[in-house]
Amino acid sequence: MKDKYRLNIPRLNILSREKLELIHLSTLEVLRRTGVAVKEPKAVEIFKKGGCYIEGERVRIPENLVEWALRNTPPRITLSDRNGNPAMFLEENNVYFGTGSDTPNIVDLYTGERRITVLKDVENVSKVVDYLDEMSFLMCSGIASDVNSKISDIYHFEAMVNYSEKPIVFTAWDLENLKTIVEMAEVVAGGKERLKNSPFIALYTEPISPLQLAEEATQKLMLMAEKYLPVVFTPCLITGATGPVTIAGGLIQGNAEILAGYVLANLINEGTPFIYGGGIIAMDMATSIACYASSEFMLASAAFTDMARYYRLPMFSFAGCSDSSLYDQQASLEGALRILLSSLSGGNLVHDVGYIDSGLTTSFEQIIVSNEVIGMVRRITQGFEINEETMALDLIDKIGPGGEYLTSEHTLKHFKENWYSELISRVPYEKWEEEGKKDLGIKANEKARHILENHTPKPLEEKLKAELRKIVKSRDK
Amino acid sequence: MDILEEIAIGVEKGDSNSVHALTEKALTQNISVGEILNNGLVAGMDVIGEKFKNNEVFIPEVLISAKAMKAGMELIKPLLAKANVESKGKVVIGTVKGDLHDIGKRIVAMLLEGAGFEVTDLGVDVSKEKFLEFVEKERADILGMSALLTTTMTYMKEVIEAVENANLKQDVRVIIGGAPITHSYAEEIKADGYAPDAASAIDLVKDLLKK
Ligand code: B1M
Repeated sequence: MKDKYRLNIPRLNILSREKLELIHLSTLEVLRRTGVAVKEPKAVEIFKKGGCYIEGERVRIPENLVEWALRNTPPRITLSDRNGNPAMFLEENNVYFGTGSDTPNIVDLYTGERRITVLKDVENVSKVVDYLDEMSFLMCSGIASDVNSKISDIYHFEAMVNYSEKPIVFTAWDLENLKTIVEMAEVVAGGKERLKNSPFIALYTEPISPLQLAEEATQKLMLMAEKYLPVVFTPCLITGATGPVTIAGGLIQGNAEILAGYVLANLINEGTPFIYGGGIIAMDMATSIACYASSEFMLASAAFTDMARYYRLPMFSFAGCSDSSLYDQQASLEGALRILLSSLSGGNLVHDVGYIDSGLTTSFEQIIVSNEVIGMVRRITQGFEINEETMALDLIDKIGPGGEYLTSEHTLKHFKENWYSELISRVPYEKWEEEGKKDLGIKANEKARHILENHTPKPLEEKLKAELRKIVKSRDK
Repeated sequence: MDILEEIAIGVEKGDSNSVHALTEKALTQNISVGEILNNGLVAGMDVIGEKFKNNEVFIPEVLISAKAMKAGMELIKPLLAKANVESKGKVVIGTVKGDLHDIGKRIVAMLLEGAGFEVTDLGVDVSKEKFLEFVEKERADILGMSALLTTTMTYMKEVIEAVENANLKQDVRVIIGGAPITHSYAEEIKADGYAPDAASAIDLVKDLLKK
């Protein structure tokens, strides 16, 4: 595990201890007083046995039960790579980035046109993520439109696991499909127990704001809890539409939604590897767009990360995403701000890198540029050492007034600690002209093409590949 | 100021209480329901609708006006049929089967209501049977479908086929919308119209019902 994933400068705290407590206690109040609507009868039964107050599908959760569940937080959730080696320690201030999922469109790397996503795109994104240093995990990015739509999620999983060794966060359309995907993961890991012991997957599922646990989403959460496999339970609350317009109100309602799922998971299996987090998304009240990069959303993500730390649960956060219709200056600035902020607050599993068009389109350029920005930000969050060697007082004295440091041993020894980018331009104007006057987008496009044309991810063993194919085929009717 | 103007201003301001009281008062003054509707309530909404299009006001302000209009509508609705005032049109709307995205469709429904249409919102996860049932029952002029998922948008085609098979196609105009929907998809599945956002959905419905 590299040190770079750890935040080495003070974490950005936006909520004081008192405010954290207030949000927590207010959340308990919402769960007790208002409760949640649970559309899956089996889950209602479990809540009932756990001591909740039930009226039809309305479940009101007593404070003590939430507190009990919060005492079961797993100290660390480890996600492995495809080969079962530990790849991410989701805890404290370790920050890892990955793509998003399920956009309907993608910007074609070769024509520049926005078009509907196909399976090949999911394979290509997987390849790119597999190659890029700063991408630690993979989500499918787009929904493949050229396969049986009832099981496109299964196709996505097959593509991802074939084209990348990195941990996978996936979506599943329903319980049956989820079972198939878990079965595929078990094949790859070498059995049920192995997968449970070193999982390389996490399911993305969600509550529905305001305050509902939908039937299928809940069934999916329950299956992961039964199998003791990692699950992300992330609301997508739109402030002023499906939650209060204020960040505080949105945070409390969203928190209640997550904790309801968390309690359920723990009633099924204490200490289920549960990943906290989610979106408190501001709506643009002129255009009705749910904005992925508003200041309010960023602020809310920082606050949510504080709550995650307070509960000692891993945080599912957002970065590298934008509301711009295309990859442009807006896309890179919004993507970058989100990367900086989620890093400073120490969000653990940070997704949606590559989203533009408010999550409706995937852009390779946005993924590639975000990878550079993440490198740049990691250099910041790595901080710097202060010791005899780095303070260099003897050297300062030796060189003295009017000297130079270029030729000193000390410079030679340490200059490589500075971060160098492949794409960020730092050349004199005329040189830049000579090199073809390329802007960042062009360079990112070229790099993505280069990866696709030259990178061969380590293939999955033939036997496993064939087994996966068989499973997919058996479902494709 | 005449009372109809006052009603219109009440709607514009989103003041439900005053709109309710003023509508009541207008009725006692024997002003016709048609006038109250068109020169009071709808006139107020027209102003706010225009301001919304020009980015002078925002969605919550429009919706609060729509709510105020509804406060007046409730009073005159039972009288409209008797007075032979035709409604602007009936809309049945819902998010298609398998899809739980709600809020965009709700905004469209509320704004349509604000524009004076009678709207039945069937909610989310709506089957073709239910769409058909309500189109028939309400004698709807417009059937509106919303889908936010590429995996559920195909269901819109099934609904349109069901509408055709039930011989309702000439009675009801079908419109569709939602994030992954496009013009060309609407054409492909033979919908009568598509709108990328709520404001254009209102224009679309007005347009379709003019013809
Ligand atoms: C009849 O005539 C008309 C005319 C115009 C019409 C119209 C009808 N309907 C809409 N319009 C138009 O006018 C409206 C107002 O201006 C507009 O409506 P919109 O709905 O577009 O706009 C709203 C006002 C605001 N926008 C929204 O409300 C949608 C925002 C995003 C972020 C979103 C949300 C909030 C949610 N989601 Co979902 N969600 C996303 C969305 C991303 C995006 N950019 O759209 C999208 C749509 N979701 C997606 C996915 C994949 C999913 N979601 C899911 C769930 C959810 C939540 C429940 C968490 C939540 C909805 C909560 C709720 N109560 O509605 C899951 C599906 C659940 C289900 N069965 O439906 C799940 C499958 C995820 C999972 N695996 O669990 C993606 C769809 C991708 C695709 N290719 O289809 C998605 C683009 C995000 C993403 N990139 O992953 C216009 O489209």
